[in-house]
Amino acid sequence: MESGLENSDVARICLPFLRDTQNPDGGWGFRPGNSSRVEATCWVLLALWEPSQQLSEDRVRVHRARDFLQTTQLRDGSWPAAPGEEIGCWVTSLCCLALKAIGDQTQGSTIESGLRWICNDWPSDSSPWRRFLARLSSQRDVAPINTSYRGWGWTPGTSSWVEPTSFALMALDRVASLELAAKAKKRRSLATSLLFDRMCPGGGWNAGNPVVYGAAGEPAIVPTAWSLLALRNAQVRPEITQSLDWLQRTAANVQSPGSLSLTEICLRTHGRSQPGMASLGEVLKRSDFLDNTLVAAWCVLACGSDFWLGKPDARTVAA
Amino acid sequence: MLRNQTLIPPFQRPPSQVVIRRVASYHEEIATLIFESLAPFGLQVKGKSVLLKPNLVGLDPHGFINTHPTVIAAARECFLRMGASQVLVGDGPALDRDTEAILESVRLREHLGPLRNVFVDLNLDEVQKVTFPTRASRLRELYLPKTYMGVDFVVSIAKLKTHHWAGVTLSMKNLFGIVPGACYGWPKNVLHWAGIDRAILDINAAARPDFAIVDGIVGMEGNGPIQGQSKASGVLVFGDDPVAVDATCCRVMGLRPERVKYLQQAGTLLGHLQADKIQQVGEQVEGVRQSFQVLPAFHHLVA
Repeated sequence: MESGLENSDVARICLPFLRDTQNPDGGWGFRPGNSSRVEATCWVLLALWEPSQQLSEDRVRVHRARDFLQTTQLRDGSWPAAPGEEIGCWVTSLCCLALKAIGDQTQGSTIESGLRWICNDWPSDSSPWRRFLARLSSQRDVAPINTSYRGWGWTPGTSSWVEPTSFALMALDRVASLELAAKAKKRRSLATSLLFDRMCPGGGWNAGNPVVYGAAGEPAIVPTAWSLLALRNAQVRPEITQSLDWLQRTAANVQSPGSLSLTEICLRTHGRSQPGMASLGEVLKRSDFLDNTLVAAWCVLACGSDFWLGKPDARTVAA
Repeated sequence: MLRNQTLIPPFQRPPSQVVIRRVASYHEEIATLIFESLAPFGLQVKGKSVLLKPNLVGLDPHGFINTHPTVIAAARECFLRMGASQVLVGDGPALDRDTEAILESVRLREHLGPLRNVFVDLNLDEVQKVTFPTRASRLRELYLPKTYMGVDFVVSIAKLKTHHWAGVTLSMKNLFGIVPGACYGWPKNVLHWAGIDRAILDINAAARPDFAIVDGIVGMEGNGPIQGQSKASGVLVFGDDPVAVDATCCRVMGLRPERVKYLQQAGTLLGHLQADKIQQVGEQVEGVRQSFQVLPAFHHLVA
C-alpha cells in the first residue's frame, strides 16, 4: 500500500480524473459526463479537500461543490439521491459528514437541518406496530434480528440496514446543537446496538442479514469497512476486534480498488495494517476502475490524512 | 417511456416458443450452441444496440451464484455475429456496491476483455423516472437506468435458482438488478416493502426484456439466491416471452409455475404460463426435469 498521496500512482491517476470531471453545476456524476449526483459530489469534495495534495484551484472546485450541495438540499433538510427527486434519503448523512469535514463555517444551518432530518428519520420495520405484527408472523424466525434496535434505511419508510446506519452514525458524531444533542445521543445508542446485533457470526458485516434460514451470512468488505469506521470511537468490544481480524484476513485477497481503498482507510483508522495487501497504485494501473468517480475519490482518501474522520480543523472554505 | 408493449391477455397473445438445450458443462462450445438456439426466433438485431443483463448478485467464490461469465461472453459474441451495432453488458448487483469486485470474482474481464466501454454498472447509471403501466404494487414509479431503457434490445440472462423470498429467481426476477442502488440502496429494500412478487410484475410490465436466456448449466437449489447448494442441471433455456421461459424453467426444476405467486399473475397479462401455450423446441421438459430442493415455505411449489 502506498504510504502517502504525494507523488503516488494514486495521485497521478485519480486526482486529474477527479479535477477534470466536475460538471458546470459544481457537482460530479458517478462517471465523467454524467449528471451531478449528491453522493458522488460529497466523495470528490472530500478527496479534493485532502490537505496533502490540495491545489488552490481545488478550493474553487470545493466551493462550487459546496454550492451544488446547498442548492440540492430539500426544504426538509434532507438530500435526494437523484436529480429532481423530492424525497430525501441516506445521502443526507454523507452530505452532513462532508460539509462538516471541510469545516465550512457558512454551512451551519444547512448541516443542522440535515442532522435534524436524520434524527427524525425512523425506519418503519421497527415501529411498535410492526414489531407486534412481526411477532405474529410465521416468518418471525427466518432472519433472527433484534428489532428493538433501530438504525436507518436507505430510503424513508423502509428497514434499517448496516451501511446507511453507519453513515448516520458518522454524521451524528459531532452534533453541536444542544437542541439535537439528546435526540442524537438516543439515536446513536440504538444504532450502535443495531450494528452489533447485525454483525455476521465470526465477524464482519454484510448488508444487514447476518443469518437467514439458519445459514450464516458472508460478510463483505464495504459494509464491514463503514461499520468499523462508524464504531471507531466506540468502546472496544470483542465484536470489533473479531471484525477487524476478519477484515485483516480478507485484505490480502482484495483486488478491486474500491474495496482495497476502504479496507486501507478502515484498518489504518483502527491502528492496524496488513502488509500483504495489494498496492493500490498497482491495482489502479491494471484496472480502469470503470471510470467510477466514487472509487477514484476513495483511493485518494485511502492515501490521505483521514481529516474527514477527525475533528474539523481550523481551515475554512468560507474564508 | 416504457420498453415494449407488454400488457396483452393470453387469448390475444400467440403461442410462445421456448428452446431448451442440454449443455453438460461450461467447457462446451457455448457460443455455437447459443447461436443455433437463437435461430428459430429470427431476432432482428442488425444495427441495433443490445444490452445483456446477467444476474450478478455478489462475490461468487464457488461459481454458482451468478450467471456464468462463459455464457455472458458467448451471448455477446452471438449478438455481435448477428449484426448488433453494440452489445453492452450491464447489471446492478443487489447486495454489494463494489461491482468491480464482483466482476473480478467472476473473472468477467478475462472473458470479455477491457470492461470500460462494455460493462455498465446499472447501480450508478444515469436515471429516468418511469411510471408503471400496472398497479400490482404500491410503487407507481421508479427511477430506472437510462442505458437499460434506451437500448434497442434487452436480453435478461438469468441463473436457474430457487429464492428464499420469491420461490424462484429466473429471467423476470432478474430485473430487480436494473433498479439503481444509488437511488434505492443495497439491497433495494423499497422493492421488498412494496412486495417482492408485486414489484416483479410492475417492473416487468414497464421494462420487459426482449429476450430471455436462463443459465441452468449449474443452478442453485435450497436457500437461494446466494446461500443455497449448487445443482448441476445441464440446461440453457431461451425464449422471447420471459413468462414462458420462467414457467418452463420451473417445470425443469420440478416446480409448479402456477403456484409461484408472481408467475401466476404474470400469466394473466405479461406472457404465457400454461404449458399448452408454450411450444417447446429442442429438449422436452420431461427429458431434462430435475428435482430442486426448496425451503419448507415453498414445499407447495413442488410438482
